[in-house]
Amino acid sequence: MKLSSGLKSFLILAIIAAMTAIVLVGFNVPGIKYTIGKAYDSIRYGIDISGGVSAVLSAPEGVTPTDDQLETVKGIIDTRLEGKQIYDKTVTVDKVNRRVLVEIPYKKGSESSDPYETIADIGATAMLSFREVDEDKIDPETGDYVMTDRIVLQGSEIESAVAETNPETQMAYVRLIFSDDGAKKFEEATERLVGKKIAIYLDDQMVSAPIVNGKITGKDKAVIELGAYDPQQSITQAKELAAIIRSGALPFKLEAKDVNHISPIVGENALNISIYAGAVAILLVWLFMLLYYRVPGLVADIALLGQAAAVILILVLSGMSLTLPGIAGMILTVGMSVDANVIIFERIKEEIKSGKTVQAAVDLGFDRAFTAILDGNLTTLITAVILYYFGTGAVRSFAITLGLGVILNFLTAIFATKIVLKSLAEIRALRKPWLFGAKGGTANV
Amino acid sequence: MFDYVGNRKYFFILSSALLLIGLVALIFRGGLNLDIQFKGGTQIEIEMESGDFDTDKADKVGTEAIGKSIHTQKSQTLDSKNSNESISFLVVKSSGKLTDDERNKVLTALKSEFNVKEDGEMIVRDVDPSIGSELLTKGLIAVILSTLLLILYIGIRFNIMSGLLAGFTAVVAVIHDVLMMVAVYAVFNIPVNDSFIAAVLTILGYSVNDTIVIYDRIRENSKISRKESIKDLVNNSIAQSMSRTINTTVSTLICVITIYVFAVYNGIGSMQEFTFPLIIGLISGTYSTIFIASPLWELLKEKQAKKKAAARPAKA
Repeated sequence: MKLSSGLKSFLILAIIAAMTAIVLVGFNVPGIKYTIGKAYDSIRYGIDISGGVSAVLSAPEGVTPTDDQLETVKGIIDTRLEGKQIYDKTVTVDKVNRRVLVEIPYKKGSESSDPYETIADIGATAMLSFREVDEDKIDPETGDYVMTDRIVLQGSEIESAVAETNPETQMAYVRLIFSDDGAKKFEEATERLVGKKIAIYLDDQMVSAPIVNGKITGKDKAVIELGAYDPQQSITQAKELAAIIRSGALPFKLEAKDVNHISPIVGENALNISIYAGAVAILLVWLFMLLYYRVPGLVADIALLGQAAAVILILVLSGMSLTLPGIAGMILTVGMSVDANVIIFERIKEEIKSGKTVQAAVDLGFDRAFTAILDGNLTTLITAVILYYFGTGAVRSFAITLGLGVILNFLTAIFATKIVLKSLAEIRALRKPWLFGAKGGTANV
Repeated sequence: MFDYVGNRKYFFILSSALLLIGLVALIFRGGLNLDIQFKGGTQIEIEMESGDFDTDKADKVGTEAIGKSIHTQKSQTLDSKNSNESISFLVVKSSGKLTDDERNKVLTALKSEFNVKEDGEMIVRDVDPSIGSELLTKGLIAVILSTLLLILYIGIRFNIMSGLLAGFTAVVAVIHDVLMMVAVYAVFNIPVNDSFIAAVLTILGYSVNDTIVIYDRIRENSKISRKESIKDLVNNSIAQSMSRTINTTVSTLICVITIYVFAVYNGIGSMQEFTFPLIIGLISGTYSTIFIASPLWELLKEKQAKKKAAARPAKA
């Protein structure tokens, strides 16, 4: 009995030590080439800390997108951003509020591109169309041909698009692959329009207007030349355009409701200060618990460390990002975790004062404190779930760390602290009331 | 032992007086100081060469450039790489959303008149007014729904305390704390933005948990001795939980006050604006747990008992 409870405590302490080690320094298994990186470095931060661009995109008023449409939009935005070489991004569908949230963190060292341009690009509906034009009707502002409604073929008749480079000029262009239907229409039109121009539009913007030299047969004969000045620029442009065409047209127009561009300086500052402040705060709480509750205080301090490490590990493993409100949620759970321990230890002290032995007091203390901790944590969990369901970005992030913390807090207080403290109470030398923060007590050890 | 129940009217008066101050401030200031997340509009922060510029002049330059009312402010933050230097920002706010064209015009006008840093940071936020009202309604729904569920949960778990009544008084304490936070925002004119929501929610969670623990003691004590008067029951339960209540508050306050001190020392406005209301909320949460929730429950419980006692002879 003694051995098994000691063994359990040892296991718990070992798990906490391992989690803390993984978070702070990483893990090296000697002999084998297996390393776990320092988890602390892999925390993803929300853009309120890392800086970057966030946008809330929704359908125009009166349009209620379906779940499927929202998922399609997410897929398209993902592809379009990847076409712009932006891989570290978060695109989430908010099914409750029927909109899409896009977050693009600031990348160190990369040229900061115009956030408005990025948002406008992902919001482009991307309907590609080939149209006949009247060569004498030119828009005076843009110099492009005025759009007509004589459509030769459009988006749905294009199967794919690839960026290719002309080996002689090194200039890139986009090759379109038509569907069977599209190829037929294109053949028919090029036969009819020899010597005339066919303009290619992306939404209402003209991309190019090549002259038809003769009838074109085949699925992959149409190319879009770009007006780029140098090969490098043309390659980037061609890749982006091909990606936009490939990803297809959006099912509805996207409107940017909330565009937020945050400087990395401000967030980094706030984060650095929060880390220092958090470290000092945890040290002070540790000291307080240790001085006030002695042996149980030490156990609580270790459990608190384990809880903090577990929250960070879960955040890293699930790839969720940590935001400033998320940090607020963590502070609250540190407070609640201390609370659970305080409730238990106060109960133990009371039992010692009423004349029970330390061992009996520890058992009773945990039993009596159980309902208070259960009800306190469950009510908070109810709040966290509702906030998650109704909340948007910042509130959700708060709800996640709060909910996670509450569950872990319950587990550590009811299992980890209990097992370790009970096995410590079996050690004769530690069975002294003052080591449990109780002043008097008539307990016979 | 202190008579928490007997002295409750003083604490009810104190709370009402503090909330009244908040209400007066709210009326006097014409509502809360809503940031653009709630109002909608455009906010641009431009990094400047130095903090030496006149915001009145900037107001005028911006307004003349586009013919829409522009309001500017100064803001500063420490440079994380070089802690001896601070970075100054000119904050431009417009209550209507600016178009790309208008934004560029304002920027060009300001650049020609002021010492804007070459290739400096620029932070832009553009919010549709619909987002703000949506944020408010969704937030309210969330708060109302969670209070309803809390009443229900407490009603089931604490049925020995006439559950729903206990749930109601716990929620009164929570609403007391939330209103106290709103009062702090009104009195100190703190801008209401995303961190306001996070701060209010934190206090909501904290306050409920705090109250539940004392309820748990009342529940336990009322099972042990049924002879005790309700008044003694409540007073004893509060007194028995006192060292726990104080220790928890102290350790949570240690966390938040440390962060506040760091934020003040480093001049980080956003963190001060978040932690200051939290400190007040934590104190209010503890106060309402001890002096509002359980004493109010006793008051209503006594009334209920009297009503029942009065009804009984009438029936017989």
